[in-house]
Amino acid sequence: MSDIRDHSGPPDDELIAAEYALGVLSGTERTDAERRLAREPDFARLVSAWEERLAPLAAEIDEVPPPPQVWSGIAAALPSQSAARSGLWSSLVFWRGFGLASALAAACLALFIYFGAANHNEPLVAAIDGGGHHHFVATVDVKRKTVAVMPAAFANDAQGRVPELWLIPADGKPRALGLLQADHAVTLTLPAALSPLARRNSVLAVSLEPAGGSPTGQPTGPVIGSGELENL
Amino acid sequence: MDLDANRSLIVAALARIASGDRAALQAVYRLTSPKLFGVVLRILGERSEAEDVLQEIYLTVWQKAAAFDASRASPMSWLIAIARNRAIDRLRSTGRKRLTESIEAAIDIVDPAPGADSALEESETSAKLHACLGTLAQRERTALRAAFFDGNTYEELAARMSVPLATMKSTIRRAMIKLKACLEQ
Repeated sequence: MSDIRDHSGPPDDELIAAEYALGVLSGTERTDAERRLAREPDFARLVSAWEERLAPLAAEIDEVPPPPQVWSGIAAALPSQSAARSGLWSSLVFWRGFGLASALAAACLALFIYFGAANHNEPLVAAIDGGGHHHFVATVDVKRKTVAVMPAAFANDAQGRVPELWLIPADGKPRALGLLQADHAVTLTLPAALSPLARRNSVLAVSLEPAGGSPTGQPTGPVIGSGELENL
Repeated sequence: MDLDANRSLIVAALARIASGDRAALQAVYRLTSPKLFGVVLRILGERSEAEDVLQEIYLTVWQKAAAFDASRASPMSWLIAIARNRAIDRLRSTGRKRLTESIEAAIDIVDPAPGADSALEESETSAKLHACLGTLAQRERTALRAAFFDGNTYEELAARMSVPLATMKSTIRRAMIKLKACLEQ
């Protein structure tokens, strides 16, 4: 690395790691580097350090939400879930047939009994899914009393309705948290009164409401997706 | 969205993936797939192929999550490296030439795209990288950026910038050495 006069001779490990991380190698040079990466921890560390140096460039690349079938393909290729989790999820799917509101209430009540003693200060996350689509991902910071919601595959409603976020705790009664955006993340304030209700296995749901939000304080439009809060 | 909160969420989820938790993989996917899809789409330029590679990427994350070391790498750097390598592997295996237009025509390579911003962009490490890239000669900076964004090989870069292969190699190597020295200051 100290030789800055001539760079046409055989490169040292530092440079090979840099070239591999940048992606300019091809053919046998690239496969040789990959083989060394798997076998030589020192070389792997050099490559990681270069990946770390270069990664901030990716900030310039626009985010593009992938279509929902990408996740479906990934999920289908994974080994099957543990019995406990698949039981829970198939039950949720089953319950949807009987009406989302009562299903959510029943699910919350059951889970509240099982998991009621969760830690109150851990960050929570919920994937808000519905109709085979992944609409939003929400993270709840209980300490700072914020709910950050990022759109995944949510498309704006053709009738001009807006997505509104609801917290549905164990009692099954929705509490309004605020309006969401289809094209960027929003951070909502978690009201102090609702903070104790935002806990593991409470449900976040999104309904479509008239511009400005539900006029009644309860969901008036269709619930397009929901997901449980989980610890991470 | 608070990037630090996000970072710790991704780190925690990666640890759970290592123990076989599918919901944790789904959480990582939700948090990171729009960025990784953007990265892959830029390299491959073809949507259905990019979707296919994106699936491979998250299956790789599923398999390799146990190897992620939060003390050595940031989770986004780790994920971006997996994404770029998968996309580059696909590009090389199809033998398809991509983005071999003259560099001068690719304005966003010569300089950062106007209005490019994100939580990553605003971070201290990002600001430092951009400051150090700014100390390189224009040709060096352009070659590095083209390689990163478009996944070009040395041969493709030499063609795009109309220089001999040996010249391109020494340009990139000199740029990398200078960049490392600047970042370590």
